[in-house]
Amino acid sequence: GVHCGACRKMSVYELHYFNNRGRAEPARLLFAAAGLPYRDIRIQSEQWPEYKLKLPMHQVPVLEVDGTMICQSVAIARYVAKVTGHAGKTDLEQAKVDMLVDGIDDVMTKKGDYVWHEKDETRKMEKKTAFYETTLPQFLSHFEKLLRTNNGGDGFLVGEGLTHADAWFLCLADDILLDFPDIFSPYPKLAALVERIRTYPGIKEWLAKRPQTPF
Amino acid sequence: MAPKYKLTYFNLRARAETARLLFAAAGVEYEDFRVEFGGGPPSEQWKELKPKTPMGQLPLLEVDGVTLCQSMSIARFVARETGLDGKTSLEKAQADMIVDAVEETLNKIYATMFGTDESKAQAKKVLETAVPEFLKNMEKLAGPDGHFVGDSLTWADVRFFDLASEMMAKHADLLENFPNLTKVVDTVKANSGVAKWIAKRPETPF
Repeated sequence: GVHCGACRKMSVYELHYFNNRGRAEPARLLFAAAGLPYRDIRIQSEQWPEYKLKLPMHQVPVLEVDGTMICQSVAIARYVAKVTGHAGKTDLEQAKVDMLVDGIDDVMTKKGDYVWHEKDETRKMEKKTAFYETTLPQFLSHFEKLLRTNNGGDGFLVGEGLTHADAWFLCLADDILLDFPDIFSPYPKLAALVERIRTYPGIKEWLAKRPQTPF
Repeated sequence: MAPKYKLTYFNLRARAETARLLFAAAGVEYEDFRVEFGGGPPSEQWKELKPKTPMGQLPLLEVDGVTLCQSMSIARFVARETGLDGKTSLEKAQADMIVDAVEETLNKIYATMFGTDESKAQAKKVLETAVPEFLKNMEKLAGPDGHFVGDSLTWADVRFFDLASEMMAKHADLLENFPNLTKVVDTVKANSGVAKWIAKRPETPF
């Protein structure tokens, strides 16, 4: 737990989400990297219609911190990163981390568009093709370049240590590697980054023991 | 001496206006650089600039030799620099979640404006339920004193004001049944920096 300096009490963290990685996994990776205990609540679909009514925006993930509910996956991951010292050291570094997370979020949303929202099978395939032929390569080549601007690209995305940008990146990587296992072959620094995050102390153990879900 | 901050965006409000409103609210000087917006095919100016940007997009904020992109990361940074991002880590997270919710809704609105006829029609249907739901949730989170977070102005209020004022230009009665949200909008509007900016900012289509 984390000691609040003023009140010398451990904060209680509860993360509410479904039983999959989805938009809760970056926060879970960050808790794991810090060895910070939390309740990893996984809601069953039958519970959902009633469950959502008590959530601020009727959506998950929600992070409850000593009873205060924070929703929105990116806001949650940023908060966990802040509490565990993985948000970036200076204001400017934090902004750089934020911008990379936003870039990853954009791409994940575009992928989600065809996976979840496109019902027509033909259009789904068209969008998937456009995603893998245009959207994703553009994004990955920007990111390979951005990674290389940070100490030659042999560390993490921003600054000297792991930040929530790396956590989000691993989640995206896990997803796209399922479709194309060789997706990173044109991007050697990004490929090495994925391995670096996977073997990060705490994350490594979590990856070995986390529930196996399709997404 | 040149201002510390250079904000680059098209000659539009859209995705840069929150940052501009924050600078205005805090009375902080910045260079408000506007790239020609063709309205159709990209302008020559944008074609030249685009490959030099981190992710091929605008807005950008240049500060201390660093170029930031992503509109909300920029706005959050400006909010932090101007003391408008919330007082504690938890308050900052609460401000973040409000801003994220606004962004979600804004993207749904953009989906009705850009795309194929079919995707736009589908997006319009989504918006019909999404907006009332969004306003209902936000009304609960706003509280009666005109602020989303804590007891003073944060960028969450400014961001919401930005979206709401755009929507109210077409639907004046948008917040008629939402007194808390109306209070937030009025509080931001009454900020002298914001009021001055709105009176003098360039007229643009959106």
